[in-house]
Amino acid sequence: MGEKKQHTDVLVIGAGIAGIEASLLLSKSGRRVHLVEKTSYTGGSVIKFEEVFSNMECSTCMVSPVQQELLQDKNINLLMLAEVEEVKGSLGNFTVKIRKKARYVDLQNCIGCNACFDPCPVSLKNEFEEGLSERKAIYVPCAGALPNVPMIDTEHCLHFKGKSCNACQEACAFEAIDFKQKDESIELGVEAIIVATGYDIFDSKKTPKYGYGKIDDVYTAMEFERLYASNGPTEGQIFLKNGKTPKSAAIIHCVGRDEKGYCSAVCCLYSLKFNHYLKSKIPEIKISEFYTDLCIPGKSHQKFYEKMKETGTQMIRANVVEVTKSGKEITVNYKDENGKKSNLLVDMVILAPAIEPKSDASELAKILGVSLDEYGFFKGENQDVFSVVTSKPGIFAAGCCQGPKNIQNSVSQANAAVGKILSATKTKMEGDITA
Amino acid sequence: MTMKIGVYICECGPNISEKVDIDKVIDAVSSMSDVAVVDRYKLLCSSDGKKFLEEEIKKHGLTHLVVSACSPKQHEKTFMEVCENAGINPYLFQIVNIREQCAWITEDKDEATEKAIRLTKAAIRRVRYHAPLEKKEIECNTDVLVIGGGIAGIEASLQLVSANRKVYLVEKTQSIGGLLTNFEKTFPDMQPSSALINQKIQSLNNNENIKVFTDSEVEEVLGFFGNFEIKVKKKAEEEPIEFDVGAVVVATGSNIFDPKKTPQYGYGKFDNVINSLEFEKMNLSGKISLKNGKIPKSVAIIHCVGRNEKKYCSEICCMYSLKFVRYLTNKIPDVKVSNFYSDLCLPGKSYQKFYEQTKGNTDFVRSMDVKITEKDGKLNIEYKDETGKKSDLSVDMVILSSAIEPTSDASKLAEIIGMSQGDGGFFAEEHEKLGPVSTSTEGVYVVGSSQDPKSISETMVQSEAAAGEILSSLVPGKKIEPEVKVSHISESLCTGCKTCLSVCSYGVITFNEEKKISVVNEAICRGCGNCAAACPSGAATIKHFTFDQIYQELMEAVK
Amino acid sequence: MSKVEGTPITKGAIISTKLNTNESIIEFLKKAMDKKVFDAVLVPVRVPAGDSFAYVLIEDKSLLKDAAPLSPIMSVQGAKAISGMTKLGKGNMKIGAVMRPCEIRATVELTKINQTNLENITLISMDCPGVMPISDFLKDPEKSMKIYEDAVKRSDDKIMRPVCQICDKSSMVSGDLHIGTLGAKKGTFFIVSNSQKGNEVMNKLGIELKDNVDDWRNKVQDVFEEKHKKREKSHKDLKAKTTGLDNLINTFSKCINCHNCMKVCPICYCRLCYFDSDKVKHTSEDYLDQAERKGSIRFLPDTLLFHMGRMMHMSLSCVSCGSCEDACPMSIPVAQIFSMVADETQDLFDYVSGRSLDEPIPLVGYKEDELHEMEDAK
Repeated sequence: MGEKKQHTDVLVIGAGIAGIEASLLLSKSGRRVHLVEKTSYTGGSVIKFEEVFSNMECSTCMVSPVQQELLQDKNINLLMLAEVEEVKGSLGNFTVKIRKKARYVDLQNCIGCNACFDPCPVSLKNEFEEGLSERKAIYVPCAGALPNVPMIDTEHCLHFKGKSCNACQEACAFEAIDFKQKDESIELGVEAIIVATGYDIFDSKKTPKYGYGKIDDVYTAMEFERLYASNGPTEGQIFLKNGKTPKSAAIIHCVGRDEKGYCSAVCCLYSLKFNHYLKSKIPEIKISEFYTDLCIPGKSHQKFYEKMKETGTQMIRANVVEVTKSGKEITVNYKDENGKKSNLLVDMVILAPAIEPKSDASELAKILGVSLDEYGFFKGENQDVFSVVTSKPGIFAAGCCQGPKNIQNSVSQANAAVGKILSATKTKMEGDITA
Repeated sequence: MTMKIGVYICECGPNISEKVDIDKVIDAVSSMSDVAVVDRYKLLCSSDGKKFLEEEIKKHGLTHLVVSACSPKQHEKTFMEVCENAGINPYLFQIVNIREQCAWITEDKDEATEKAIRLTKAAIRRVRYHAPLEKKEIECNTDVLVIGGGIAGIEASLQLVSANRKVYLVEKTQSIGGLLTNFEKTFPDMQPSSALINQKIQSLNNNENIKVFTDSEVEEVLGFFGNFEIKVKKKAEEEPIEFDVGAVVVATGSNIFDPKKTPQYGYGKFDNVINSLEFEKMNLSGKISLKNGKIPKSVAIIHCVGRNEKKYCSEICCMYSLKFVRYLTNKIPDVKVSNFYSDLCLPGKSYQKFYEQTKGNTDFVRSMDVKITEKDGKLNIEYKDETGKKSDLSVDMVILSSAIEPTSDASKLAEIIGMSQGDGGFFAEEHEKLGPVSTSTEGVYVVGSSQDPKSISETMVQSEAAAGEILSSLVPGKKIEPEVKVSHISESLCTGCKTCLSVCSYGVITFNEEKKISVVNEAICRGCGNCAAACPSGAATIKHFTFDQIYQELMEAVK
Repeated sequence: MSKVEGTPITKGAIISTKLNTNESIIEFLKKAMDKKVFDAVLVPVRVPAGDSFAYVLIEDKSLLKDAAPLSPIMSVQGAKAISGMTKLGKGNMKIGAVMRPCEIRATVELTKINQTNLENITLISMDCPGVMPISDFLKDPEKSMKIYEDAVKRSDDKIMRPVCQICDKSSMVSGDLHIGTLGAKKGTFFIVSNSQKGNEVMNKLGIELKDNVDDWRNKVQDVFEEKHKKREKSHKDLKAKTTGLDNLINTFSKCINCHNCMKVCPICYCRLCYFDSDKVKHTSEDYLDQAERKGSIRFLPDTLLFHMGRMMHMSLSCVSCGSCEDACPMSIPVAQIFSMVADETQDLFDYVSGRSLDEPIPLVGYKEDELHEMEDAK
């Protein structure tokens, strides 16, 4: 007569917008949440954007109240620089092993003054800023990152490479830097798991015809987001590599769509958003959008499209054949809808790449014991396109790790996963408890 | 009781102490009236610091507390807790940001000190006018009203009853099931629609926690979150049914755009021009035929019917048009199908695959200016192709894939419940990104195509999301804690001009006809401040942000 | 049609009369009371002492002979009379109220903010020749009566209130019925209707609205254009004199803080004016601080602030009636200044105060796309 242990805690993997919303909703219901985040900051991809469509709301202003709530919520155990290593068990009774890397900065003592950055002798490309600016070995990814506590990148930090360097520790007045911190292994018992690990963007180098990586001033959407961001590498100023202001730009939709085999649902809309970005900083700039099919579903989005079109942007339905550079200008070579070859000279090209699963999604799926679909996204119940239920009962997938989608639908999925967990409790558990 | 204000300046290590001459600040504020003690401390947010504050409060018998330190976002909550633990009402406290907004951004020490003095003095003047505010608790009902018995309403109900909540499901027509009962299959998996919906209806019927009212409409919704009073009118009956719930889920679905409004398609004029819903029904009956009983040999499907008129893309029509191609080719072996479209909208991860697998069975014609006429006894489609060249095609049958629009009674329902209608006339969600299923009326949720055209799959996710929100905020036995810093309207100053009513986004203000004044429902007020800002006579004020509090702080800061 | 008028009125009734304007209106009211279309009428009546006029609600027809619809002065602004009567709800008497266009406009503004109930009230306006400043009238009431009558006959407005002299809305129709004297052939006047209520009254009186009123409309347009030009010039001159803080301070420096202007203003409806409340009372510490900083401080302080504050609160509804200027014991050109600013603030929103009950006051409306000219210059 054993009593099978029933946990009520929930594990959420990923502290992007979906993970944060799911955690807050679970906490509101009284559940204890363990939120595991791989990086040193919360907010995921959404905090990389300056504004979101279609009302151009400031993205960081929108998200920072929920990040704040997250950091102060007593029901949520935020585990940063942590990854799930092992998952055993089933609904109601999962045992999870988590590996939490040391930050080497004490979260209690550090007050976020950033005094440790200047003295650090190591400089390298900042991944958060898409390589457009540099960071130190002890760093926060961007101004305003939450929690406002740096981490030490042990792969580049001199101290951890055997050289003697205590520059950051000496600069800190709060004894917050602790080289002696160790990685931890944490074991948890949880009732259910929500996967909200987000997405990567398609590597535009795989489609060399667009010139990315070869031609200066061909940017991916993420790079352009950081250029426009007021807390980004150029503080929101849009320059070409030579320091000049672009007079014309081409935005190319559907990069990688043929390779991936699906439409990423958000690119047409954010390409229109880029229109607004460019016009607001450079009112006279000439913009051309190269697209094949315009995908703008939703009650507010066509209105947004019309408004963007009024700014004088050229919408060119075309197949872009090649982006080349000769001399100072970039040429976009394309075939228009009549099949006729044409070209356009521009100063700058922005690529809208497909949304794809994170590079370590398959590894995570294996650890969780859930199936991925043919595109590498977490597979829904009954092949359902948007279902949050995965192939394993008790494990749910929300947000872009489940399929490309906008923020609204990611948040809906996060809440739906919570709904499933809160409603499953009574019925499933009653069957398992034995006297 | 005499006021005793305690003022404590945090050194924040060297952060503040190196940039601000704290002793000067102490000197400057010590002489202010009602200030009982001024002191400094190394790190007030540390556990030692918090203990120090608590002891100080008790030692000096302080009535109010001012802490000059970091951003309120960091530690306002921390020090409010200290107050509570020491026996002071947590709202008799003011935090001053002399770090992010002073020490960290001012180079010159004299300037920074001067600013710190101003800010601290301003806070002391403000806190004098603080009133103790009490947290409230309201009992709540955890039952739920679901309006609409389609897939959205059914899914929401199932999730809620699974958690043992009681649900009242009100359906306008004779039976539940909604639009789905008209479909043979659903995209993109092409599974039988009936299997999906019937199984769910069965689960509902077997559950004793749900009461289904068919042939019924919601007549009245009064009250507020946790305490709604509902009146439902059943067609045949005289007296309405009354019951109480804690939350309302609106899942009333949508209608198909009437193609008679776009006469160029010949709907209602020519036989064999039918709309998508009519085609679904025809397909479900098992036989696809023309008006004269014959089987069509050629069919054209026109996308985006009504798009220009409605001014939005309805998201699902390209997909269901592809589904129609499958229906046709499955039932009529040699049928010739053509799809006339302008942009292909395939925003789901397996939608493109569905398109690739279906397109071989039809002719996809990118076209504009489509017009249907009759020629030689058949239907003739006149159109311009992508090069602008005029062309035409003769077919037996035309299916119009029409836009999705709100139901004709959407405005009536919006008024009854107190919801707003947004773009396209659909019910407005609270926030486009972060509040997709809630509305600005707390406790009222909207899901499915009554909120925005969407697929069945997305609809079910929204229903589950609404259930998630309701299950976490309405818990049996747990009381609701409404916002403390809410609006208050002075009875003696209110002139009854109703300006506040027109600017309140949350429907929190009602007008008392007898006294001719506006009244705030403190249980659902969010404290946004619109009313206080708009009130021409200063009758509306926000607790903790009263005129006096703000004015005193401001006057001292700009002295 | 001038942009000032709400909806262009093309048809009305031409009434023949042997009486002068005042008497014709009284006759009209009498008929209406005879036929029980009105149970009572609200009109200005000369006070027994003879030195002023007051709004009187007359229920006894026999007292109508004392009425003076075209009184030479505006004592209490008509909108105040209406709101005083109906703020707490409509009465069950059907009332006909005869007032000047600016008083009716003010009534319309007050209705938008629930300070009146117009359900049983029929608002009747007339082409207004203006009114005399009260202080001028009081110099010799009997003589002033004749001067006024004479000036009206000659269409000479030099004796009228300064704001009346530049009023371009003196024939604006925003009530239910309007008596048109401009452009009327001798021995006739026009009556036009602006609402369903007006139509019903005329119906009950057996007067058909089928006559062509082009003569009235054209003359109204002429007068509008003339007055409008005058108004623009006057505002331009006044703006030059009052622009800049120093000019403003000087203009208002003789103000004695009596707040009369606020008290007589029909638009100022607050139960307790901000400037009468404790909010403007500071500690002596504060006053002494100010004196210390600036070297000196005037008492009572915040004089200009009162006017600017009041202007900000009521400008969008100001109807340029001039009651404020009449009430000022220090002869400050309050109405002229407030009127000039009101034109500009209302223009920002394409709004004319009192033009129509269907136009909400811009304060409560939100449009996503507006006031770009107010945004920070780049």
